[in-house]
Amino acid sequence: MRTRQSSLALLAVLSLLTADIFAQDLTLPNKSGTLKFAVIGDSGTGDSNQYRLAKVFMDIRQKFPYEFVIMVGDNMYGSQSTQDYVKKFERPYKPALDQGIKFYAALGNHDQPNQAMYKLFNMGGKRFYTFRPRAGVRFFALDSNYMDKEQLDWLQKELEASGSDWKIPFFHHPLYSSGGTHGSDTALRDQLEPLFVKNSVDVVFSGHDHFYERIKPQKGIQYFVSGGAGKVRKGDLQDEGLMAKGFDAGYHFMLLEIDGDQMHFQVISDFGKTIDSGVILRNRNQSKTTPGAGDPAVVTVPKPIPAGAKPSTATKQP
Amino acid sequence: MKNLLPSTLATVWILAAPACVTDAAQQTAKMPEGISINADAKLMADFTAKVDDYLKLRKSLEGKSAVPIKNTADPKELLSSQKALGAQVRAARAAARRGDFFTPATQAQFRRLLAPPLKGSDGTENKIAITDDAPEAKDIPFQVNAEYPRDESLSTVPPDVLRALPQLPPDIQYRFAGRHLILYDAKANVIVDFMLNALPPLPAVEKK
Repeated sequence: MRTRQSSLALLAVLSLLTADIFAQDLTLPNKSGTLKFAVIGDSGTGDSNQYRLAKVFMDIRQKFPYEFVIMVGDNMYGSQSTQDYVKKFERPYKPALDQGIKFYAALGNHDQPNQAMYKLFNMGGKRFYTFRPRAGVRFFALDSNYMDKEQLDWLQKELEASGSDWKIPFFHHPLYSSGGTHGSDTALRDQLEPLFVKNSVDVVFSGHDHFYERIKPQKGIQYFVSGGAGKVRKGDLQDEGLMAKGFDAGYHFMLLEIDGDQMHFQVISDFGKTIDSGVILRNRNQSKTTPGAGDPAVVTVPKPIPAGAKPSTATKQP
Repeated sequence: MKNLLPSTLATVWILAAPACVTDAAQQTAKMPEGISINADAKLMADFTAKVDDYLKLRKSLEGKSAVPIKNTADPKELLSSQKALGAQVRAARAAARRGDFFTPATQAQFRRLLAPPLKGSDGTENKIAITDDAPEAKDIPFQVNAEYPRDESLSTVPPDVLRALPQLPPDIQYRFAGRHLILYDAKANVIVDFMLNALPPLPAVEKK
């Protein structure tokens, strides 16, 4: 009984601490009229870690009212029964769902294909799809488990048709990653990167590796790995020159805000600490037909981490 | 130039195959004994035709289902409709046998098609991509018409590998479990057919 009381007291203190941190910590502009969204990846464990992060994730919406969430796959691990949909998705994110926040999912390797028919994942019955939450910004959800000709042809067509919009693909397997367990999916990169470069993709979100990583811009594109909303693989970041910032010591989610040609980002851990933040500046005049040459099409400017926060750097564990 | 030539050849071969089926049979008959240059194309065309027939059957069953699969916010309805379709498929294919799709000759041809994308350094990457996510063979029921286990991951199938094999219609997919290839109906969650040891020995990858 005493243990239970102590645990409750500890939880209460942590909640207060978290709330206090949020009060100080939001580095995003949080302007009215901007597009605000969030990213979670590898979330669907249904365990206490997912719920703990989800609580932080839900709470911060009072401060930063994100309009929708993108899920970069592994939305559900293990069994996917009726109860699992509740335990691993509906219950942890209930406050957001109740407020009408939309979740847009991509399929991970642990996700059954019929998740595409689940209305709350907003996939419209398709394993790959696109949506345009407002003028000037377009997202592309891809099924990186099965990148067949049908999907590649579709992506080429949709990217070409998206004009000068922000082009933001998201999918499970990262084209660039410093993960020791998975790492970069070079076979997938061979197929997707030429399309991304040719069609001036700006930012890409993936998961699969259970940590946060901001990759140094590659051929003018900013890649993020965000696979730590339900699982974490401590010590798995093994930087060999790709990493601009990484965090593999805890769980996290991302908050983003698009304001014209700027995309601001802030990454927050399960204890409410800011792991990384910055702004991606888009150069609309940059031609991406000569990748690797000249100025990059996106420039990512990190912001200083607020005092008190302690981002993890890549450390190789023995 | 990564895999360009084999992929291109495979693509041309596959694209040409359906148009050649009738001609292939006629030409093969006219060929001197032992020479059948279009026999492989015919094999692939036969395979594709069987898949198309399966899809027609599956679609006709969908149309008759009392619990049609549709977008729903109710997970119970989502799962029950898929299970119902799977049961209909099993009933309609009660006579289906292993090897209906992957005949011995088709298996040999698939192994030949799978070899190029699995060779060299690119091949190693492709093998790692497959192994990384694939379930272990012991966790999958290798039975025609079996339900794919709902708590098992689905292997990634690298783009190079998909390009090398005959293209499948939407919802019908190639998947791997260990070294074995599965013809998988993603909509009904049914193992349509399978082919053992489709892949050469794979690198060991730590299971997550």
